[in-house]
Amino acid sequence: MQLVDAELLESRQILPGQWLQHYHAPVLAAATRAGQFVHVRTGDWSGLVLRRPFTVNTADSATGTLSIHFREVGRGTAWLTRMRPGDRLDMLGPLGQGFQVDARSRHLLLVAGGLGIADVRLLVDEAIRDGRQVVLLYGCRDASEVYPSSLLPDEVEYVVATDDGSVGHHGFVTDLVLDYEAWADQAFACGPLPMLRALAAVAAGRKGRLGVATLGRKRGAGRPVRMGSPEARRKAFLQVAMEQNMGCAVGACLGCVVWGVDGPQRVCREGPVFAADEIDWEATAGAGTHKR
Amino acid sequence: MKPKRRVVTHGKGPGPAGGAGAAKPKRTPTVRTIRSAIVEPKGARGAQASVRPPVAAPSPIVALGSPTIAPLASGGRRAGVPAGFDPATVDLRVDLGRDLVLANPILVASGTFGYGVEYAEVVDVQRIGAICCKGTTLKARAGNRPPRVTETPGGMLNSIGLQNPGIDAVLERYATLWATWKVPVIVNVAGESIEDYVGVVRKLDLVPGVAGVELNISCPNVGKGGLQFAIDQDAAAAVTRAVRRATELPLIVKLSPNVADIRPIAAAIAEAGADALSAVNTLSGMALRADRTGPFLGNTYGGLSGPAIKPVALRIVYEVAQVVEIPVVAIGGVTGLDDVLDYLAAGAVAVQVGTAIFADPTLPVRLVDELAAECGRRGLASYRPLVGTALPRRPGPASARGVEYRP
Repeated sequence: MQLVDAELLESRQILPGQWLQHYHAPVLAAATRAGQFVHVRTGDWSGLVLRRPFTVNTADSATGTLSIHFREVGRGTAWLTRMRPGDRLDMLGPLGQGFQVDARSRHLLLVAGGLGIADVRLLVDEAIRDGRQVVLLYGCRDASEVYPSSLLPDEVEYVVATDDGSVGHHGFVTDLVLDYEAWADQAFACGPLPMLRALAAVAAGRKGRLGVATLGRKRGAGRPVRMGSPEARRKAFLQVAMEQNMGCAVGACLGCVVWGVDGPQRVCREGPVFAADEIDWEATAGAGTHKR
Repeated sequence: MKPKRRVVTHGKGPGPAGGAGAAKPKRTPTVRTIRSAIVEPKGARGAQASVRPPVAAPSPIVALGSPTIAPLASGGRRAGVPAGFDPATVDLRVDLGRDLVLANPILVASGTFGYGVEYAEVVDVQRIGAICCKGTTLKARAGNRPPRVTETPGGMLNSIGLQNPGIDAVLERYATLWATWKVPVIVNVAGESIEDYVGVVRKLDLVPGVAGVELNISCPNVGKGGLQFAIDQDAAAAVTRAVRRATELPLIVKLSPNVADIRPIAAAIAEAGADALSAVNTLSGMALRADRTGPFLGNTYGGLSGPAIKPVALRIVYEVAQVVEIPVVAIGGVTGLDDVLDYLAAGAVAVQVGTAIFADPTLPVRLVDELAAECGRRGLASYRPLVGTALPRRPGPASARGVEYRP
């Protein structure tokens, strides 16, 4: 965790109301793993008292750049869109626990709903770098919001679902998951809460439905792993990146909790990536989001 | 009665001559007495020495009670610090009572700095005056349902609901570490009943690493044990008295702004044996969901903090400083040196930085340097002459004069 002065290199609107900004921050670009986030401070003159958390969208340690992808939803993000190349931004990061990919996983299923693509985007790069096969399922409202395939590596299999059927599958992205569930070794998801809850239900019933065989004795089998530990998350089929309004982002204020089966879990410290079975989906439901 | 000192009764006594409070006449605190609250620390200190190493240059004590701010020295313009000035020579020490001597008057507020370890990677926590840890209860508490925080104009709402692992777990996890720190850790204690408070405080007594107790009787986010102690002077005094009997630790009581008149409550708490007061906790508030279908926070209500509440906190500090003789620690929307100077002028001897830490974790440490530099700029060897300059010179009885609050 470091406080870094990042310089904006490029800012563009990639989709209506959605922005992609590249920053020069070599320390963060080198240290960030998929799923981790940075906590960004808007300018003093903005009158805003809290930082904004953004998942690192891409990170390139060779050039020392990282990017964030966000939707303009409130005063803080509106302020960010008005930044010009050369402007500097105070970033705190990298923060949180990223995605845990098992070394033996060959097939990764990534599921993103809307802006959730920002959370799993870096995992695409990391997985392809490590020689894994990646399927990215992406769901959004209509054709105008489809994440441009030009921003994705060629190696990824990119499948789109839209709510109105204007592009790709007509329906929810969760409908597509069943086609890939048996193929995948691990799944990673980020998106709206109902989507995550539906995926968690699929993941919970997966073992019984597919009869997934565990051939031979696996390393460490039978040894209990503590829920929430990196090992436990690696063994879980589905990992989800959660979102919550944040205060400090370092675990001090206890503001950004989601309800887990073991009680409140801090999104900034224990998360933002959780194994799906750590989350108490009933208790977490119904939380609205606020304009930031 | 000594000349030039007025008698004022605290509590419900109708006037100087009547009421039960008349049994123990108290001096009206003036600038003189408030300044004298910041006493020179006595040479030797205990295990939790928080005094910075003796400063090289003997710090000349500015004449206490001197009514004027030291004028801008001929060489020291507002523009800059005099040449050859060393900030380390400015005496920033402050005594909050019972030998709780802080190296400087910049504290971090409870709930914004966790247990002091969370920000350790980016902040030199040893340079802070003191750390008030997250509110701690006898038993573990899960806290309120999310969402718990949201931003509001010039501030933020929180409704954490006192999530904490319980006093035993807190001490087990952090006390050993705290004992190795130079910075004193003040444990913020919350509870639902007087027995709860006493139970926690008993466990804190004589624990190495615990420098003091901040009694949180003003949390607006919990059903029971929150405001009920802070809004009633008898209850506030009762809990303070019970805790006072249970511990020898320095005892700070945190006041709530959610009251009509803070002065009798502050006076009652001081009377009951508190060593210092901190003011204020958050203001009760709420926010709605974006689609306006209901309250946004899981707990409906939240506590408002940040720059938005500074005028309210300043008013309360100003009022409290005039009715009590114990030190007052100001909390509320400190985001820069100007806010620190305002609170000092209003009678506080120290300030706590809270919400601003979220945006700028290094702010408390920077404020220490800036305060020292400001003293150097004004040619002061100590920050003490900055305290209480805005208070009325000769305040009348507290109930008759001062600022009336008309919402």
